[in-house]
Amino acid sequence: MAVAAAKPEVFTRNTSGLVRVMSPYSAFIYNILTMGLIFPWTYLWAPGALPGGRLVWGILLAMIFEIPIALTYIWLSTALPRSGGDYVFQSRVFGGGVGFSVVMSGFVIWILQWVALSGWLLAYLGFAPLFLGLGGTLANPSLTAIGVWFTTPWGIIIVSILNALLAMVLLVSGFKNYVKFQYVMWYATLLSFGLMLYLFFTASPEAFAQKLDAFVVASGGGPNFYQTAIDAAKAASIDLNPPFSLLATLLIAPIAWTSLQWATYSAEQNGEIKGARSFQNQIVIILGSLIATGLLLAALAAAFQHAIGTEFLYVAGAGYWSGLDAGKFNGVYLWPNIVAMALAGSPIIVVLISLGYILNAFQIVNNCYIGMTRVMVAMSLDRLLPEWVSRVSERLHTPVNAHVAYFLASIPVILVYNLWGQWTALTLGVTFACGYVFVITALAGALMPFRAKALYDASPGAVYKFGNIPMVTVFGLIGALVGGVMVLMFMFYSALGLTSVLAYQVVFGILAVSIIWYFLAKMIQRSRGINVDFAFKEIPPE
Amino acid sequence: MSFFRRSVSPKSTEKLTRVFFASDFHGSERIFRKFINAAKHYEADVLVMGGDVVGKLAIPVIRESNVYYRAHLMGNTERLEGQADLQNFEDRIGTLGYYSKIMDEDEYQAIQGDATAVDRLFHDLARERLATWIELAETRLAGSGVKCFVIGGNDDDPEVLELFKTANAQSMVFCEEKEVEIDDHHTMISVGFSNRTPWKTPREVDDDDLGKMIEGLASGVADTQHAIFNFHVPPVDSTLDTCPMLDWSTNPPTQIVKGGQAVMHGAGSKAVRRAIETHQPLLSLHGHIHESGGVIKIGRTTSVNPGSEYGEGVLRGCLLTLARDEVKHYQLTAG
Repeated sequence: MAVAAAKPEVFTRNTSGLVRVMSPYSAFIYNILTMGLIFPWTYLWAPGALPGGRLVWGILLAMIFEIPIALTYIWLSTALPRSGGDYVFQSRVFGGGVGFSVVMSGFVIWILQWVALSGWLLAYLGFAPLFLGLGGTLANPSLTAIGVWFTTPWGIIIVSILNALLAMVLLVSGFKNYVKFQYVMWYATLLSFGLMLYLFFTASPEAFAQKLDAFVVASGGGPNFYQTAIDAAKAASIDLNPPFSLLATLLIAPIAWTSLQWATYSAEQNGEIKGARSFQNQIVIILGSLIATGLLLAALAAAFQHAIGTEFLYVAGAGYWSGLDAGKFNGVYLWPNIVAMALAGSPIIVVLISLGYILNAFQIVNNCYIGMTRVMVAMSLDRLLPEWVSRVSERLHTPVNAHVAYFLASIPVILVYNLWGQWTALTLGVTFACGYVFVITALAGALMPFRAKALYDASPGAVYKFGNIPMVTVFGLIGALVGGVMVLMFMFYSALGLTSVLAYQVVFGILAVSIIWYFLAKMIQRSRGINVDFAFKEIPPE
Repeated sequence: MSFFRRSVSPKSTEKLTRVFFASDFHGSERIFRKFINAAKHYEADVLVMGGDVVGKLAIPVIRESNVYYRAHLMGNTERLEGQADLQNFEDRIGTLGYYSKIMDEDEYQAIQGDATAVDRLFHDLARERLATWIELAETRLAGSGVKCFVIGGNDDDPEVLELFKTANAQSMVFCEEKEVEIDDHHTMISVGFSNRTPWKTPREVDDDDLGKMIEGLASGVADTQHAIFNFHVPPVDSTLDTCPMLDWSTNPPTQIVKGGQAVMHGAGSKAVRRAIETHQPLLSLHGHIHESGGVIKIGRTTSVNPGSEYGEGVLRGCLLTLARDEVKHYQLTAG
């Protein structure tokens, strides 16, 4: 039984202290930006692929499903407040083989797809709408044409590579420079998001129809866009008023999880967060950011639907999911930001909304580097990746080689994602793969009190129990179960895009490569007299 | 040492020495026990402990009745009931590196306002724990042929460290400010003092004075090419010493923040860096900056700071295999 004390009853002496760089507030912001207030898929993918599903409920369900996983991470983070997060948690509890294979495949390799996706977001939801919006609001078709270029494969590829390169340079120059810039990204994203909410909540479907038509005409398109799109959708047998479907609503949750599963990403940087061992701090950072983002995303969904109407929501969804041309504007899907720009009709609003999207998209690629280079450094120090990966530049104090390696590895993924049509269907493969990492970490949390007893006993969470059962075990098991179901949904429901032979080959191929890598690395190091197991194996203290 | 390069087998006749180095235990009972057991676990021939052995916090366990006690830990006051609770609590704080003492309310009130009494309490508790550590090391390492070399760090009170000197131990060797033989080919010199810190710790000196201390030892080493420099503080601006810059004028020191973020800097010693660059020993071992673990090269010297996670009960260390003329390989461990 523990209660807060008014005054600490301890004796202290003068000794050196450990001070960390990132404040809990910065980590809270970091998580919200990582979850990405701008992630667009839920808003169009869900109505397109899952008619009858309730968008807002699906997002809230994803938030609720994530809560036990988030709670487990709070226990793990306070027990092991080290950088490397999932890799450290899993290798501590299950050993290096599981930790390396799962995190290498699900995170290090699959998150290369997030590098590609962030470039796609930057081009498709940042720059394209900026120029399309300016073209529309200023009645300037040349600007519209520039906007369209950003939606072409090579437009996206060029933006993606520059995006990855710029983030690498920023981070190599020092983590502190990123932290400084994060505040700019935070406020720009909040402003953009706030503007969209305001525009959606103050609009009506009738006003939207008029403004959308005017916006399309000003951009060089034809008249009556709104009605033409509805007629085309009906002609294509798209049901614009489907009855409620519980299954469809449940299946929206894994899509929304693409965003909300990242509530725990700050765990990769625990070693740099001040007071990372404090329960209170971790609750604010992980659980607080999850709930804040879940509610904001649900609010955006409600507002979006309020503004354009349920009927047109299915038209926009059909543009994305069914390839309905009439449901696109200049070849661009009707994302919430495009709709907001059409509603505003102001070039200043266009710039402000676009800036938020551009900076949040840029923040996402930074996340990929920040998290993965730390994991790679930890793997290299454990002798499972080459030694040069973990070398830290004496001048810049950053693991330059890890950053350069990750940048170079991302280029083929960027090319494949944008040039090979079939790969696009694997977009949510990254959610699936990262999902299994989170599920196995939740399981590691559940088993921590038994498989890493000393570590657990020394952690601040050890005092919290349900009867005799550690709370982390209960939350971890629930989290693993719920997360596991969402992960499996990707494998069995075609609406989530991972049921093709190609998907199975890629998913299991990457896992197999990681497992083989582990055993090869272990064998080679053993021939050199290095026992890789020493990096993970706890020495018995007795 | 990359596994992408061909392995060259050591000469079959060459005897390799396996050294396990760890530092900054700060009183953690669990970490010390793991450290001693590391010799067997990692099949090490030599153990080296790089300083900062004394704990930072003493927790009074206040007796409220024959059965009930209260103690403050990690921001919470815990109510303890009976011997089992008490033992469990003491084990936990032992892992964290803290000391504990059961006392009545009156005794607590008397000590808490008296700096000298607090100092005395720390010394007594630290010496008591060190004595049990020495005994444990002697028992566990007896007959194994493994030597355990120990130094103090800047956080350790000289009076407490005296216990190492007077213990007359066989396996545990207090090697500060002397040259000791590690094996047939390598010797080691050790300095536990640091340059100045904002924490005003018991064993810190001006960097120039630290340089003189080091030079006094290094100049007496006949063969620095095969020497190990075991200096608690890492070389300045080496990435083994990166930590946030602190404001020295506040108590306790506070982080300097510019533009909304912490200013980072290298808090290591110029004198240590100069000594490594000048003498180019085979290996240099460091601790002090817990959050800046790693392995680097300074010229031909391999420099190591394994970092420290004593509070989490994780023994961070570095396992080094020494050939006569080179560090054959190293491996950072978290045991």
